[in-house]
Amino acid sequence: MFRADPLVKIRLHVLASEAADAALVLAHFGVYSPAQHAPEELSENPAEAYRETWLEVESRTAKLAEHCSISSPPKLPEGAEAPTLDDLEKLNDWLKEALSCCLAAYAGETRIAEEIKHLDALQETLAKLEHLNVDLAYLLRPDGLLAVNIGSVPAGSLKRLGEALSMAGFLVSTFDTVSDQAYAVVAGPRDRHEEVRGLLAQAGWREMPIPPELRTHPQAAREWLIEERKRVAERSQVECRILDETRSRYRSGLDEARQVVELARPLAEAALLGVRGRGTLASLSGWIPRRRVAKLKTDLEARFHGHFWLDIEPAKPEEAAATPSLVHYPAWLTPFVPLVRSYGIPRYGEFDPTLPFAFTYLLLFGAMFGDIGHGGVIVILAALLSKRLGKVAWIGIAAGFVSMLFGLLYGSIFGFEDVIAPVWLSPLHNPTHMLTIAVTFGVGFITLAMLVNIRNRLFSGRVHEALFDSGGLAGLAFYIGAVGSIANLAGATTIAAPFWVLASAGLIAVAIFKWVETRAGFGERALVATIETLETGTNLFANTLSFMRVAAFSLNHVALALAVFALASGLDSVGHWLTITLGNVVIIVLEGGIVAIQALRLMYYEGFSRFFSGDGIPFIPLKLMDAK
Amino acid sequence: MHAYLNTRVSLFAGRLWQPADYAALLDADEAGVAAVLTDRGLPQLATGFAGRDSRSLEQILIAQLINETNVLIRPLSGDQRNFLLFWTGRFEISNVKTLLRGKMTGERPAALLSRLTPMGAFGRLDMQELAHTEDMHELFRRLEAGPYASIVRPAQRVFAETHDSFLLDAALDRGFYEGLEQRALPLESAAGASFRRLMGALIDRINLVWLLRYRFNYGLPPAQVYYLLMASRYSLPGAQLRRLAALDSLEAVLAELPEQLHDQLQGVTGIAEVYNRLERAAAEDARKVLHSGAPAISRAFAYLLLRWRELRSVRAVLRGRHLDLPTAKIHLAMYDASAGRA
Repeated sequence: MFRADPLVKIRLHVLASEAADAALVLAHFGVYSPAQHAPEELSENPAEAYRETWLEVESRTAKLAEHCSISSPPKLPEGAEAPTLDDLEKLNDWLKEALSCCLAAYAGETRIAEEIKHLDALQETLAKLEHLNVDLAYLLRPDGLLAVNIGSVPAGSLKRLGEALSMAGFLVSTFDTVSDQAYAVVAGPRDRHEEVRGLLAQAGWREMPIPPELRTHPQAAREWLIEERKRVAERSQVECRILDETRSRYRSGLDEARQVVELARPLAEAALLGVRGRGTLASLSGWIPRRRVAKLKTDLEARFHGHFWLDIEPAKPEEAAATPSLVHYPAWLTPFVPLVRSYGIPRYGEFDPTLPFAFTYLLLFGAMFGDIGHGGVIVILAALLSKRLGKVAWIGIAAGFVSMLFGLLYGSIFGFEDVIAPVWLSPLHNPTHMLTIAVTFGVGFITLAMLVNIRNRLFSGRVHEALFDSGGLAGLAFYIGAVGSIANLAGATTIAAPFWVLASAGLIAVAIFKWVETRAGFGERALVATIETLETGTNLFANTLSFMRVAAFSLNHVALALAVFALASGLDSVGHWLTITLGNVVIIVLEGGIVAIQALRLMYYEGFSRFFSGDGIPFIPLKLMDAK
Repeated sequence: MHAYLNTRVSLFAGRLWQPADYAALLDADEAGVAAVLTDRGLPQLATGFAGRDSRSLEQILIAQLINETNVLIRPLSGDQRNFLLFWTGRFEISNVKTLLRGKMTGERPAALLSRLTPMGAFGRLDMQELAHTEDMHELFRRLEAGPYASIVRPAQRVFAETHDSFLLDAALDRGFYEGLEQRALPLESAAGASFRRLMGALIDRINLVWLLRYRFNYGLPPAQVYYLLMASRYSLPGAQLRRLAALDSLEAVLAELPEQLHDQLQGVTGIAEVYNRLERAAAEDARKVLHSGAPAISRAFAYLLLRWRELRSVRAVLRGRHLDLPTAKIHLAMYDASAGRA
């Protein structure tokens, strides 16, 4: 829980023809994360073609499934084998055909919809053409001097089209606009008609076919339209039937295809990183937990009966930056994981701060927002919203309970300080005490953070940094010495000299380290060493004082409540309680939110930044089903 | 913000190649090319440039330009940011053209994806999804639901009516540059004459060369030529373009040009030369803007125009070397490359 599972690097060598099955075994195994560390001599990527075909199959299967309205995940039969490249290619051809049939059926339906739309437009157009007061039969006769086009064009192109048409002696006249389409008549000299054909096509002109029926008396045209609608409705029924038949024809094959996609997924996903090979040999490389090596061997033996070779090598500390981190958390701790992950992922071997984070975060929140009533409201709200909030609700519930606990210690309920007696102390009446406790907590917190940093650096082999850097043992010595000296000056302890010596020794060690580490000329080196050493002192001082906000917010909580009471006291009974209720809502929402952020800020900047590089690589196991 | 951008542009401007740098690249022996490229701020090209195909070379150059644009737009917001983002989007429009052509010929997704230019942080399209579309119709449908809908929709309509890939490309180009003009409009009033000069040189150059190509290379009728051009508010506005499109020869068009363009194109005999002259004049203008006290956005745009011209010249040299062309021919190729479409 405090650090990642020890991992081993594996290289599984199998026949290239069995690579898909090997990947399937690794996916079933559940804790194999592909990584690129195959030997250099295995320079080929035998799964590249497999992945390419799989991507096409996956894309087509998803589209077909969407087309057939299937969304539930496929059920994989026990002991199913992974498909070969040949199987995938055959499936790809079948899917291509199936999809083109489905798309054709869909296109038929779309065509009907377009025809209906067209008829609607035609009906409207007819109404408009009637207003043109033009005999269409005369206007559109083929032997006239005028060449005429009736159609539609995107309204945005109309101006430019008009300008261009005028260059060929043509005119454009709009008689209707429907959404972004302008319906227009284009007319000009017949001998220059050819000149404008290309232009009209370029402008996206869509010629409106005026059927002979429409070139007659409006009444006759309307009757024709009614007949057309009947015909289209009949065709629509036929198209729907075709679509349903197409869907049912391919449904069973699609179920099978979805299974194949999932069975092929492991090799296709692993091919991105962890599959290399040469000739008939394939090698799958990656990481697994050390404690699961025996289980993997058993699984492989059961599938390949000795026809495989497994190289195992422990993860080296110097490779920590390239090794993924696999950490297991108990269920109750998982809600806090995203809060830690939003800062970064612990590097392999690094201390995982999730557990101390959870406790300290709740402690800080409770200390800054201690109130039985407000905590209770948070608990109830988080419980009520648990379905919508998911795991995050548990943080709310826990924070609410801790707030209630501190409310009991402070003797505060909905801002009232005189209803119950404080079990411990009232922040309002003991501000100095609260500030002292907060700073003392900060000293302890920073000391622990520095100790963890020393441990992390020792693990990663950076011994000099662990001993002499500002965040290392020397920095810690300075910090403890400085805190002790200040405590002595404040009269909290009588020990003085040892603290001064410790602080001075620590600071000198840090300064020497900075001097040695800086690669520059004398002047720059002196400057860097001096400034960075001074920064060590000022930073630690500022970081410690930063914890005063814990006390400040606990006081702020009481002060806000007092402000609400002061406002309420001048009002009548209804106004009084209304103000107190609304005031409490404001305190819970506003101050609760601020305190939640401040506690997070303290954890991130005063804690994590000291020891947590957060640049780890997540352990992403190869899974059988798409994690998405 | 502007102080930061100005400083950034000045730092980048200091890295622009001088004639001596090209000479050094031309004269370097095989082992020395990588050192020249690294010294002149193009280390990405130095690594294994010799073994790369022309597509990879192009991708590296675009990646370099995208990285620099990324740095320049960091302090920008609003119209200025939109403009530079859209300007970089021309590479994505080029990807759209590749996808459309690939779908026309039934190319497989993996092959198609390998030919696309990675857009990095500027990528607004899901290339994986688009490459895996079944056909042109599905591709158009997805593109029309994306960020370039306003460019793609008219192009789709043109293609549906004509099935002509040339007209499709022309519609996409026109849509892109008209979008660019729209985005430049608020900047022209805010950043003033310097920005308008850069945009004017760009749009006039493209419009004039398109006009000449469509009219005299492809023999399109004047009305269609005019329609294919961009609506411009610079030296060649609509009425002027209509007049020019109606003329019958290159010489007649050149004679009717406004004075400044006419002077720049004295003695020109071919369309390629028209582009080269105008491109050089535009580069000269951009250089003046870059080294002037013009507003930061004008200087940034000028830098990007010059940098892309320069990267194309470097590409020409590397390709020339790769093909063992004589130095004189490489010089000519550089000249043509730097004059390629901006």
